Amino acid sequence: MLEIRAARKVFYRGQPDEKVALSGLDLTLNTGEFGVVIGSNGAGKSSMLNAVSGSLALDSGQILINGDDITGLPVHKRATRIARVFQDPMLGTAASMTVAENMLLAELRSKTRTLRHGLNARRLADYRDRLAILGLGLEERLNTRVDLLSGGQRQSLSLIMAVGGSPDLLLLDEHTAALDPRTADIVMEATVRAVEALKLTTLMVTHNMQHAVDYGHRVIMLDAGHVHLQIGDEEKADVTVADLIGHFATKTDRMLLAS
Amino acid sequence: MIDFLQTTLTSFVALIPVTLAQSLILGFVVAGIMIPFRMLSFPDLTSEGAFPLGGCVCGVALAAGLGPLAAIGLALLTGFIAGCCTAFIHLRFRIHTLLAGILVMTMLYSVNLRIMGRSNLSVFGTETIFDWVPFVQPGFPLAKIIAVGVITLAIFLALNFFFTTEKGTAVRAVGANPVMAEAQGINVWAATIGGIGLAGAFSAFSGALMVQSQGFADVNMGLGILINGLAALMIGEAIVGKATVWRQLLAPFAGAMVYYQLVSLCLAAGMPPPDLKLATGAFVLLMLALPTLRAARGRQAAAPRESFRE
Ligand SMILES: Nc1ncnc2c1ncn2[C@@H]1O[C@H](COP(=O)(O)OP(=O)(O)OP(=O)(O)O)[C@@H](O)[C@H]1O
Ligand SMILES: [Mg+2]
Repeated sequence: MLEIRAARKVFYRGQPDEKVALSGLDLTLNTGEFGVVIGSNGAGKSSMLNAVSGSLALDSGQILINGDDITGLPVHKRATRIARVFQDPMLGTAASMTVAENMLLAELRSKTRTLRHGLNARRLADYRDRLAILGLGLEERLNTRVDLLSGGQRQSLSLIMAVGGSPDLLLLDEHTAALDPRTADIVMEATVRAVEALKLTTLMVTHNMQHAVDYGHRVIMLDAGHVHLQIGDEEKADVTVADLIGHFATKTDRMLLAS
Repeated sequence: MIDFLQTTLTSFVALIPVTLAQSLILGFVVAGIMIPFRMLSFPDLTSEGAFPLGGCVCGVALAAGLGPLAAIGLALLTGFIAGCCTAFIHLRFRIHTLLAGILVMTMLYSVNLRIMGRSNLSVFGTETIFDWVPFVQPGFPLAKIIAVGVITLAIFLALNFFFTTEKGTAVRAVGANPVMAEAQGINVWAATIGGIGLAGAFSAFSGALMVQSQGFADVNMGLGILINGLAALMIGEAIVGKATVWRQLLAPFAGAMVYYQLVSLCLAAGMPPPDLKLATGAFVLLMLALPTLRAARGRQAAAPRESFRE
């Protein structure tokens, strides 16, 4: 379970270009729940995910995972419980290392690293099986350097790396946005399959309203750094793309009036 | 013409064993340059200060009556600390790695002078590790070649093992992509400080061996070592490649051996020693410029040869 309590983050405080990224954001995501986060540019979606992963330090507020306060922990300590896929395929993998080495790094995310040889036969066989699920042929390219893969292949690899070891929380920030439509579909399909099969607690940011309608248990709409609207359970089953866009429209009108 | 070739060749051949011993010793400082540049993407100049630091510490320790091993141990420790300082300055104050290295290197010059109390120190006649090589006459190049050759082999194998372990793979990930490494639970600070520290220890080790080999320590003994080391590294990478971990680790040692023989050949051919740094610098420049030059001749724009963290 993920709890975000009264999270606040202001960039350039007190300067003319002050930006409120998170303004007292509260959110609870239950164990096994798949939340889809939407909101216009600058609404604070990435800031929220970065605050959870630890790469953005909050001004105030708390982050709890399964009841443990992790607000003060650095990124690498949180990583034992949190996995993430970045928007940029280049960020999520180590380009100059092989597919198998990247898989090893991910496997060791929640473990203590020893002075034993890393890539043993048992592990390689395991990686082969797990990559085969994608159907992209990555299982035959375990010794290929990752920078020789396409963006879509890299992002698929990032996904398999992230869902391995069943993290307590999976963070996906527009992880298909940089891909062509067909590859995006492949990666999204693999995502949904893994999240459902492993019952992963997941926060996924997307600008694709169809994805927000089709996937997940709850739609979480952010606006101006806080949760503007949540659509869950039965309501979620009936929601349409037009409904979601409608909620954007009200917000934009209000912004126009306010300015 | 024939005469010239003959004298060049004879003086070169006569110097091969001495040069080989020297290049084996300097292989460690090249490794100390390679680890930051290649394994951690952390272009670092600390070696220019850590090399004489190791030499001065070893010299003073020998003069104070310590054994050759203890003297080397002390040198390793101080070199490690110097490397840690550079890494810490970069990480904590967000100062560019090159500037952090220049700061440490410059400060080390004073430290080295303080340690020795003067600019050079003779330790001729004290016991060295080269005296322990069995069956060969101490003081001859062969003793040095055997001793340092064995150490080089052991360290190469150890490094090769380490960088394929779970911990070693994590350290390489920090060099490949620090953002990703952190997200995979790797402590980027610890890996960087430890890795640059290790590199500093290698450079200091090289300096310490050099002092035991030549019988004196000098605060200026590191002058230009970085560019020499880079040249050696590039030659090594051109010969053995750098596509796999073991090739990358072999490159500094192989490169040092070839590079110093080339230097010896140039000197034998009559190149004035003062011109050596100019020639080496031009060589490194050429190696760095080569991809851009090739691209200009036809193919589209080249990617920059070196890409590092800021
Ligand atoms: N590092 C930063 N420095 C300054 N301002 C920032 C920084 N990161 C985010 N912001 C500001 O905080 C606000 C929220 O940004 P955030 O990236 O969280 O939005 P987002 O919802 O992810 O938008 P998008 O849909 O464009 O990705 C924006 O006003 C942005 O300009
Ligand atoms: Mg964003």
